[in-house]
Amino acid sequence: MALRFEVLGRFNRARAAQLTLPHFACQTPLFMPVGTQGTIKGLTTDQLEEIGCQIILGNTYHLALRPTSELIDELGGLHKFMNWPRALLTDSGGFQMVSLLHLADITEKGVTFQSPVDGKPMLLTPEESIQIQNRIGADIIMALDDVVRTTITGPRIEEAMYRTLRWVDRCIAAHKRPHEQNLFGIVQGGLDPVLRDICVRGLVDRNLPGYAIGGLAGGEDKDSFWRVVAQCTAALPEDKPRYVMGVGYPLDIVVCSALGADMYDCVYPTRTARFGTALVPEGVLKLKHNAMVNDTRPIDPTCACMVCKNYTRAYIHCLVTKDAMGSQLLSYHNLYYMLQLSRNLHSSIVEGRFPECYIIPDSNLCASRNSNVVRFLWQFPKGDVPEWVCNAMDVAGIDISSCCSS
Amino acid sequence: MKFAVKALSSGKARAGVVHLGSCPSPIETPCLLLSTRKGLPIFISPDLLSSLPSPDSNLLQFSPLHFSEGPSPKTISSIGGLHQMVGLHEYGFAAVARDSIQCLPECGSTNKTGASFETPCGRRLIKPVEYMEMITSMKPNLWATLADEVPAWANNKRNKTSVDRTVKWLDECIARSP
Repeated sequence: MALRFEVLGRFNRARAAQLTLPHFACQTPLFMPVGTQGTIKGLTTDQLEEIGCQIILGNTYHLALRPTSELIDELGGLHKFMNWPRALLTDSGGFQMVSLLHLADITEKGVTFQSPVDGKPMLLTPEESIQIQNRIGADIIMALDDVVRTTITGPRIEEAMYRTLRWVDRCIAAHKRPHEQNLFGIVQGGLDPVLRDICVRGLVDRNLPGYAIGGLAGGEDKDSFWRVVAQCTAALPEDKPRYVMGVGYPLDIVVCSALGADMYDCVYPTRTARFGTALVPEGVLKLKHNAMVNDTRPIDPTCACMVCKNYTRAYIHCLVTKDAMGSQLLSYHNLYYMLQLSRNLHSSIVEGRFPECYIIPDSNLCASRNSNVVRFLWQFPKGDVPEWVCNAMDVAGIDISSCCSS
Repeated sequence: MKFAVKALSSGKARAGVVHLGSCPSPIETPCLLLSTRKGLPIFISPDLLSSLPSPDSNLLQFSPLHFSEGPSPKTISSIGGLHQMVGLHEYGFAAVARDSIQCLPECGSTNKTGASFETPCGRRLIKPVEYMEMITSMKPNLWATLADEVPAWANNKRNKTSVDRTVKWLDECIARSP
């Protein structure tokens, strides 16, 4: 174990903690930007530090292809290679294999696929995934799991869940650097509470440094999504970090945090920036729209980022989809927004004001305490809060009825 | 703006210094203007720009035609000019209608009313009055007149026409100078 997890404050199931990793002491809840190829598209590592990024996620699959984990190891590990002094997390490579490669096939041995470089048949085993991740050198590494989309039904889900447990033992055995890198197990089981429960108990028995909730963020309906998160967070150990993979939208992060999750990753903020969309408290702002042509307001008047302090919507509009600078500036703002969201979640839980600041708009308490508070339910000015949010908040013990019109 | 020659070589070369109102430090010459796209160096946002040597990197070139598709001169004026719009308050901007990459002079389409350029928004004919409207709204520290630019292999007649037009447009630009 190469981490310490100390809960500093709670509100019902939500918790704020300090997660101390070999390269950085992080505060949770936290959002991890995705740096697929050893870089976050559009931002330098200096800028990432400046906006308060704590952990970056690297994709093992992409890095193993280019520039290869051996080269990264030779050059001193991914931290040195990409000049990032804080924490890193690598995924196992399994998800990309299954989602990017049409001819991937999963057997007990591992994931067999055609190399995208030369078409040769290749096999990614749990052992190989861990070896690659050992060479890359991230603070947190993920066990290779048998990922199945939640939109699939039938015996495949059960097969994948049990295989995930068998593979985690192989990952643990193959892991050569347990004192420097933390191996997280991933809970699978689709949308079936019985399977999820078996998987959670199996992983908890292995006494891993942390746990991820996988197999979500793949097209399942929101009502099923939150129920799986709620079940897993209730069953996972209190004193270890919980990571919901592939999540996500700001609203999803607030709900999952209310249910007791700590860590998140998603390509959404940077990807949507490249399409000209900015994240704002009211939801999203599409900078491509003609309405922006002469709008001299900043993207978000409540945002303190470099982009909102210096630029108007009109200027960003003239850049988006035509000049790389548009993507860069929007990526910067969107990541700042997500990281500020994480900071606000952490501090509001520590200071005992989580429900007031996040759930109930128009509270004088919010206005006086923190001008950067993101009032999530501003996205629903007519009170049309989705039912899944109401149900999830009910389970989380947070009363949002004053914001709901029905 | 103030310019002073500080030293001369035995030939024609000279070292000088430029003082611009917006730049806190004087800039030594010969100096390189950083080329920009819509006011910002490509890929370099202001927070990264400040890591380049200063004040040597404080002078930027831009083409007003980069903003042909917006924001409008009226909007740029209401923002306060180019320095405000791109967030580079302590930098110097030099406006030149043409650049070497995306606003290329089209001497075949230039006529007595205005200069023609190939831009990413298609071919555009700019008259002195339109050019000066852009300059007035953007408020660069330095600006070049609208010119009828022809390549070195233009024939004598075309060459003479370009000089006459350029001088005429210079007078029109000066008359509308902010």
